[in-house]
Amino acid sequence: MKKLRWLTMLALLGAFMLIVAACSDDQDTSSNGGNNDNAGSDDEQVLVFARGGDSESLDPGSTTDGESSRVTKQVLEGLLQFKKESFELEGALAHDWSVSDDGLTYTFQLEEGVTFHDGEPFNADAVKLNFERWADPSHEYAFSDDGYAYSMYGTMFGGFKGDDGHVIDEINVLNDYEIEFVLNRPLGFFLQNLGMTYFAITSPKALEEHGAAINENPVGTGPFKFVSWSKDDTIVLEKFEDYRVDGLPKLDKVIFEVIPENASRLIALRSGDIDIMDGLNPDDAASVESESELKLYTRAENNFGYVGMNTEKEYLNEVEVRQAINHAIDRQAIADALYAGYANPAKNPLPPGYLGYNDDIPGYEYDLDKAKALLEEAGYADGFDIDLWTMPVARPYMPDPETVAEIVQNNLGQIGINVNIVREEWAPYLEKTAQGEQDLFMLGWSGTNGDPDYFLSSLLHGDNAGSSNRTFYKNSEVDELLDQAKVSVDQDERASLYKEAQKIISEESPMVTLVHSTPVLAASAAVKNYVPHPSTSESLAEVELD
Amino acid sequence: MTIEEKDHKDQRLAPQQQLLEDEDIEVVSPFRDAVRQLRKNRMAVAGFSVIVFFILLGIFGPLFTPYTYDGQVLTNRLLPPSAENWLGTDDVGRDLFTRVAYGARISLMVGFFAVTGALFFGTILGVISGYYGRWIDMLISRIFDILLAFPSILLAIAIVAILGPSLQNALIAIAIINIPIFGRLVRSKVISLREEEFVMAARAQGMKNGRIVMHHILPNSLAPIIVQATLGFGTAILEAAALGFLGLGAKAPKPEWGKMLADSRDFIQLAPWTLIVPGLSIMLVVLGFNLIGDGLRDALDPKMKN
Repeated sequence: MKKLRWLTMLALLGAFMLIVAACSDDQDTSSNGGNNDNAGSDDEQVLVFARGGDSESLDPGSTTDGESSRVTKQVLEGLLQFKKESFELEGALAHDWSVSDDGLTYTFQLEEGVTFHDGEPFNADAVKLNFERWADPSHEYAFSDDGYAYSMYGTMFGGFKGDDGHVIDEINVLNDYEIEFVLNRPLGFFLQNLGMTYFAITSPKALEEHGAAINENPVGTGPFKFVSWSKDDTIVLEKFEDYRVDGLPKLDKVIFEVIPENASRLIALRSGDIDIMDGLNPDDAASVESESELKLYTRAENNFGYVGMNTEKEYLNEVEVRQAINHAIDRQAIADALYAGYANPAKNPLPPGYLGYNDDIPGYEYDLDKAKALLEEAGYADGFDIDLWTMPVARPYMPDPETVAEIVQNNLGQIGINVNIVREEWAPYLEKTAQGEQDLFMLGWSGTNGDPDYFLSSLLHGDNAGSSNRTFYKNSEVDELLDQAKVSVDQDERASLYKEAQKIISEESPMVTLVHSTPVLAASAAVKNYVPHPSTSESLAEVELD
Repeated sequence: MTIEEKDHKDQRLAPQQQLLEDEDIEVVSPFRDAVRQLRKNRMAVAGFSVIVFFILLGIFGPLFTPYTYDGQVLTNRLLPPSAENWLGTDDVGRDLFTRVAYGARISLMVGFFAVTGALFFGTILGVISGYYGRWIDMLISRIFDILLAFPSILLAIAIVAILGPSLQNALIAIAIINIPIFGRLVRSKVISLREEEFVMAARAQGMKNGRIVMHHILPNSLAPIIVQATLGFGTAILEAAALGFLGLGAKAPKPEWGKMLADSRDFIQLAPWTLIVPGLSIMLVVLGFNLIGDGLRDALDPKMKN
């Protein structure tokens, strides 16, 4: 008995020491710094990029997951791409393009002499094949039998082949290096769409060879070749020697590594095991900035986090209640406390700086008296019970969803609304909130093409209710404004339409827009030429290590 | 009083007399004897003190602070321990001392009710299967085997997943996974007692089964059950913390220790006290119960007497 007791004591003591050891500041262990520790014998440049979650699929069109785009951006390229720090377009696989006067015909001049990683030459036929497989679920390379759905194509181009809204009428190969897209109506952001990572071109030979397994064997024309993927762990890419731009990429190898906890990722960075980390806790930004071995990076503000209200549920179907909730939540306090200053309170479901952002909207100030008065007006002076669904994963717009939920719970408690926090795993969370099981829920949206339509239509158009519109907000006036803005090619007209829509949306209050965040990242000081893109996916072609 | 019990008492008295030379010869009840043994065991006393401390903390702790466990002051987040906040504050500016004190209530209550539930059902099932034997023993024992084949926390997760995550369901899950532990213990004790002469004698006198179980078998199985219950208390608290850590236990803003630990993970470098405070509390309480349990085992075991 004695022996057992001592063993227990020892074990507990050991556990305690481990906790203490983990807590102690290990800053000094990182002083040997640099990335030379993971450089190979012949000075091979290997960059390790750590992030919180694994990619879902490496077939870029088949997913909307940001962790997937981050990787496919290195392997595959589209016709166009965004400039390093903005959503301005520049050529990628197409070096020149022109639009007909009626805005219906787009012609692209393609790069010549480009080869895919499997040696296959890149040409107009490859472009056409890829667009056809996204547009047509019955295409032999659409793999719809294997559960593939190119939903982003449907969202951005108005549907699929045969749908009324489908905007691409035909794609004509003029010659090997010239291709023409004919639309059946103008689409204000057609070119913008082509810059998105989702519409990157896969080698036709690889599609034939890998079939439905193309999502684990991406073959494109990008600066890095895919080598291997060990699920929930690492994705390894290596330099593509025949990349179309001379002298790039500079790195020999890129490894994307999954480290779920933000805190452990930072520890790994400090100890030199990784070179760049995504998803730094805003609270840690100040200390990262002060360390000479590390460098702090920010992504431009291009998102917003929100508390959505299912407008079809009891209580929330009344506009006074929704407005009361909007007045009761202290955005500024959330921005200050949880984002360490790397966020601004949001009043519109669109980041400032976007075309048509309506700065004249006053927004809902934090005012508990007003909130109580509105609740009383709706007949709920004594409050009520309600569920709040909270996201199980940290996203750039919501680095600590659990805590935001607790603050919202506390805020609403003060006007008599008792909040019960509901948790769900990430995949079922997205599925069930799309089906409308929730009352209140938390989510956010990051822009990927720099166009306001991507925010407003996806989140608040009645047609998207039950998919990306999880508030089930339906307002025919708003729908009409958004539809008009979609087909217009006059940017001023589009801007005024979007402004009008935001005004109605603000009054009807289907969501509490919380903050626009500036996501923070950290990297070793040895990393050079790394520029985080607002879309969350940036090319690592020019990055190098000292 | 049975012959067996008298025998025991005589055995116990003998060494006791030698030890207490200057005292008059006294008849010591098994309970008082156990307490005396326990008090000589310094480890058990230490464990007992820790538990008493946490019970007092749970009852009176919140009275010493002006805060409530869910009072958020967003401008006071992640403050280190100070005169205002004895153990610092968490990431939404809540006072950690107040939260840990409330958490002690939750953890001790979970431990108590989970063990009571497991004890109650485990004893009933154990007695039935041990006393009646045959097919019913076969059935109950196989069910116990199945339950014990799962890693306990996995089974608890499965049960909570079915019932839905809440503190109450976590408590039920912990009780269920502990039933076979008590059940097996009681069963083996009952089987050996069933063949004892005093039970045979009672049966020969025409005593009914129920009476035999209540008056002869259960009282004589008490010692190992008490030990197991004490140790089980610690395990139950640890399991509740694990479920809380995984987000399957108490809901926000309830200050359950495991959940507090999980919520503070991101601040391990920035504000280590937010982890150390609940982590240390869990460790101390579990350690306390284990020390008492070990002490009790020694105190209640006649073979350990010197």
